[in-house]
Amino acid sequence: MKSTASYSQRRRLVWLLNGTVAAIWLLSTLVVYQRAHHEADELLDNQLTQVGETLLAIVAGGEVEHFVKELHEHARHYPVPIAFEVWLDKDGEARRLVASPGYAGFETAATPGFSERPYQDTRWRFYTTQDDDAEYRVVVGQSHAARERMAREIGLSLLLPAMLALPLMALAVWWVVSRALRPVDEVARQVGALDAQALAPLDESDRLPNEIAPLRSALNALIRRVREAFDNERRFTADAAHELRTPLAALKVQAQVALRAQGDDSRQHALSQVIAGVDRMTHLVQQLLTLARVDPARQEATPNALDPAGIIAEVCAELLPQAGRQRQTLTVDAIPGCRIAVTAGWLQIALRNLVDNAMRYAGEGACIEVRLARTASGCSISVADNGPGVAPDLRSQLSARFVRGEVEGEGCGLGLSIVSRIAALSNARLELGDGLPRADGRHGFAASLHFSAVAAPARSSVAAVVQRP
Amino acid sequence: MRILLVEDDRLLGDGLQAGLTQAGYAVDWVRDGEAAVAALSTESFATMVLDLGLPKRDGLSVLQWLRERKDATPVLILTARDQLEDKVRGLDLGADDYVLKPFDLDEIAARLRALVRRAHGHPEPVLTLGEIELNPAARTVTRAGGAIELTPREFDLLHLLLQNAGRVLTRRSLEEQLYTWNDAVDSNALEVHIHHLRRKLGNELIRTVRGVGYMASAA
Repeated sequence: MKSTASYSQRRRLVWLLNGTVAAIWLLSTLVVYQRAHHEADELLDNQLTQVGETLLAIVAGGEVEHFVKELHEHARHYPVPIAFEVWLDKDGEARRLVASPGYAGFETAATPGFSERPYQDTRWRFYTTQDDDAEYRVVVGQSHAARERMAREIGLSLLLPAMLALPLMALAVWWVVSRALRPVDEVARQVGALDAQALAPLDESDRLPNEIAPLRSALNALIRRVREAFDNERRFTADAAHELRTPLAALKVQAQVALRAQGDDSRQHALSQVIAGVDRMTHLVQQLLTLARVDPARQEATPNALDPAGIIAEVCAELLPQAGRQRQTLTVDAIPGCRIAVTAGWLQIALRNLVDNAMRYAGEGACIEVRLARTASGCSISVADNGPGVAPDLRSQLSARFVRGEVEGEGCGLGLSIVSRIAALSNARLELGDGLPRADGRHGFAASLHFSAVAAPARSSVAAVVQRP
Repeated sequence: MRILLVEDDRLLGDGLQAGLTQAGYAVDWVRDGEAAVAALSTESFATMVLDLGLPKRDGLSVLQWLRERKDATPVLILTARDQLEDKVRGLDLGADDYVLKPFDLDEIAARLRALVRRAHGHPEPVLTLGEIELNPAARTVTRAGGAIELTPREFDLLHLLLQNAGRVLTRRSLEEQLYTWNDAVDSNALEVHIHHLRRKLGNELIRTVRGVGYMASAA
């Protein structure tokens, strides 16, 4: 898979490592060449001095002829030939006493010591010396080319093995890098082999380097989360399909009973049951759709802070007529001024479900109280009734899908799942507990949503909340 | 024939009770597992229709309890789960048959008849005793090939007697199997039905065992 966002770490490492090594090698060769040149200079300068001084001593001793002959014989064996001239300065007149064959006419330097001058189109280094009376003067010289050749030879002798070693080293680097990256290849292979239908975490028993292990654990954590969400959805679809079967069976049976009924009364009864069944299925389908709509993808990115009092009033006003038909008392105690961050539509759904649940399960003639209260950390909205209540050990199961209380009711078991999903997505906490006190000393059921407050904005919009009767 | 219906769904339970009553059964309907156990501990039923998802006590647990006390009442399970493992589990725990929701009333009635037949060791659908033939599926009775008209209660009574032909059935067990809790039973209702059956089918078929009950036998 080639893309602009990806590159080969292996190739990059091999190039970087080899390039760096080659550059360091080149630099060190340059330094060595410099050093070699310097050393050769020093060595050959010593040689020049020695030869010059010796020559002077010999010349001053008077053995010029014999020495020149000897020197010449030896000079042939020197790796770096030295040329010389000997001058005699007597009575103000300088006379060349002797010179190397083939070399003549060095310009005599005015002062003794080292000097460099061009001679026969190349650079030469000279050493001039004279005796105490300034009678004899000796000039010895050497071509610079010889020194450079020597330095070059030393430099090359160092560079050559490096030239041979570099390709070998490149290979070695490639091998080492490949070996070091093998766990990455292995993880890539395992990830590539993952089956999208049956996501399974990677095997964590293999040892991995510390640099890659976190990648694998992070990946495994992701796989587990995705699988959980997957399973959840799959289970939900299955549950929903099964939940639809019972009302369907009831509809079919009631319709068949109506078809075969002998008397008008029993037919009437069966047909009214068919209608009740359709109503119940409609409610179930509506709740399923609601649950599907409470989707993180549909959430407002940052819900605006709002005052729940308005929404509470709205929802209760909507449900009041139904409560009246069931001879239930629905009271609202919501003082404006609390601000929470929640998607308005979701809060509406959650509240409607809580109140609807209370109305379904509390029974005819029950009291239902919706309360908005400030708490230490924010505010809570509770819906409490004085119905038969729910045993504490059953409460934890209630927010699971398709779980109904022990009480008879026409619910489909999705209301509290919807509320708990909205609570989870809105950073709120759903708490199920004791409701209003009953005549028999027990308590009804209560569900409350706890929100943490958001800082009130500078302009107060509390006045904008319309409190309906 | 008396059936125990265990179904928590109000609409479905109501429909099944009405439908099976139409089909000639006496149906007692309970709505949770505990009530089912209570009913089974005190009364006997020809068969039982059991939903699996029940409040208070799960259907499978009721079934297990029933089989553990060596009660062989045939059980037909109603379920919304169609996974094979669910079926296998139900059958392993001692269910006799299995129906997936939604179902047809006729299918339930036919399966219940088959269960009762098998439980009484009558593999053939038609019960015969001498000249009398009883077809439970068609709910018809013939004597020497000629059709006989019977009321539903008379038919059920004859059905019970033929299923247990050669055995004496006590008054009490007959009453238990014929009437639901809701039926108001006259003290002499059973005698009245027996009387009618004898008139329609001949006096020799049903013998009175004094102080015990009744027995059907061929001549």
